[in-house]
Amino acid sequence: MKKIAVLILALAAGASAFAQLSGSYTFSGSTTVAPIAFAAIEQFQKANPGVKISYEAVGSGAGLKALAAGTASLAGSSAELSKEQLDSGLKPVTIALDGLSVVVNKNIKLSNITTDNLAKIYHGDIVNWKDVGGPDLPIVVVNRDESSGTYVAFWEIVCQKPFGKAIAYTKNAIVAKENGEVAAKVASTPGSIGYVGMAFVEEVTKAGGRNLMVNGVADTIANVVAKKYPISRQLYLVTKGEAAAGSVEKAFIDYVLSPKGQAIVKSVDFIPVPKS
Amino acid sequence: MKRRRIAERGIEGLLVFCGALSILAVLFITLFLFLRGAPLFKKVPLTEFLFSTRWEPTAADPGYGILSFIVGSLLVTGLSLVFAVPVGLSVGVYLAELAQQRFSRAIRTAVELLAGIPSVIYGLFGIAVIAGLNRSAFGGTGYGVLSASIILAIMTLPTIINVTEVSLRAVPRELREGSLALGATQWQTIIRVLVPSARSGIAAGVILGMGRALGETMAVLMVGGNAPIMPKGLNGMVRTLTMNIITDMSYAKDDHLTSLFATGIVLFVFILALNLVVQIALKRSLSGAEGAAGA
Repeated sequence: MKKIAVLILALAAGASAFAQLSGSYTFSGSTTVAPIAFAAIEQFQKANPGVKISYEAVGSGAGLKALAAGTASLAGSSAELSKEQLDSGLKPVTIALDGLSVVVNKNIKLSNITTDNLAKIYHGDIVNWKDVGGPDLPIVVVNRDESSGTYVAFWEIVCQKPFGKAIAYTKNAIVAKENGEVAAKVASTPGSIGYVGMAFVEEVTKAGGRNLMVNGVADTIANVVAKKYPISRQLYLVTKGEAAAGSVEKAFIDYVLSPKGQAIVKSVDFIPVPKS
Repeated sequence: MKRRRIAERGIEGLLVFCGALSILAVLFITLFLFLRGAPLFKKVPLTEFLFSTRWEPTAADPGYGILSFIVGSLLVTGLSLVFAVPVGLSVGVYLAELAQQRFSRAIRTAVELLAGIPSVIYGLFGIAVIAGLNRSAFGGTGYGVLSASIILAIMTLPTIINVTEVSLRAVPRELREGSLALGATQWQTIIRVLVPSARSGIAAGVILGMGRALGETMAVLMVGGNAPIMPKGLNGMVRTLTMNIITDMSYAKDDHLTSLFATGIVLFVFILALNLVVQIALKRSLSGAEGAAGA
């Protein structure tokens, strides 16, 4: 009899632990974070049937504004938070790393390139390898399709500083649809240069291509984590003040950081947060 | 007796239903394409869409001009026919008139296999072989109009060969025998009598091939270069209408997405026009054959 009572008690406690989380929530923010957020929300809602979450992919800036204004309770950001934003009490948690490697065909015997030259190549100002210390060969630029997030990320990280916010890549470039296609095109086209998510470097190097150091820093996950590698950024989930224990926000962040959440991160081509 | 009649009715009904289904499918696809694509023209004038070359759908001031892609499609298709028609015609004539059976069987099998190869395999072949050959022969990137046309030419060959052969075989015996009886050589008979009287059918085959080339996506995507610019010459990079749709489809939203459906409308109209031409040509070829038989 006693045993049954304990069992019922335990069951009730377990049920209430699940039932605690309920209600509708609006998250908002970066389009880069969106693929992680969408997949994570789907899984999270399955585990917590009472919870309804929507993620509005409006961009990092607008998402953080919504968070500060209270119209969203959690924001995704692919941009570093400014000092003002941090001072106003926004708390970022790193949920994923994003790094792009620069790859060239095997006939280009370079080992390093500066972000400055990279920007000029992709803007169309440098069109020959001899201007960046390579052979006298025309540069075959391989770019991504206009609507890919990587296309935007590369512009923001590499080209935005010298050439402004509006994307103005050279039009004279092979357009590849996927990271894998960039890798294939670069591996097979002499004189070509491209950028791919770090996970795809192997495809180029296997085919004899090379990945370059950028500003003298190698494109390793360790260097991304240490914030040394220039073409990289961290993706954040941001809350207003520390997320309260037992809140849906806290539970969601914990879920994204859990092995299951990090598997989602990996499946949408970002780098999981290394365990410290 | 009665039961059999009912069963027959039932089967007949089923067949009519299946026929109606394909008509419905065409209607729905057309309707859906226009419903999704036409709203673009509320924001972008049709003339700008068709005659501007500025394709920057995600820019702050978006541009939706597909002239480069229309030109690209026509250029790639036209050039592929320049390669495919002479070869296809010759093979068709050879198979219908000249080849020994053992030989013609081997060729026919090869042609059938050619028709069955998935287009992505053609694309891989293009990346691995054609683009490389092109690069070493003419310089540049190897990805462009010429590589795409060569691939398309190989892909359209089976259509042109088959239709040519069938049309030549459909030429009435009397014409062939009459020509030979008048003392014409076999070669003269083929060039002066058979090919001219089969010309509508042959034209229909060429146009069918053209339709395939115009609609082909995967293979040209892999070797065309895909830069959204007006092709700079025959070795320049090219983006066709189909490539434009597939390239942006996975991420496009709002007006950008609508513009892809609108691109689809343009492609659809092109294909529709080609099909009408084929049907008219075929009809003429049939009545021509009857007329010839009657004479």
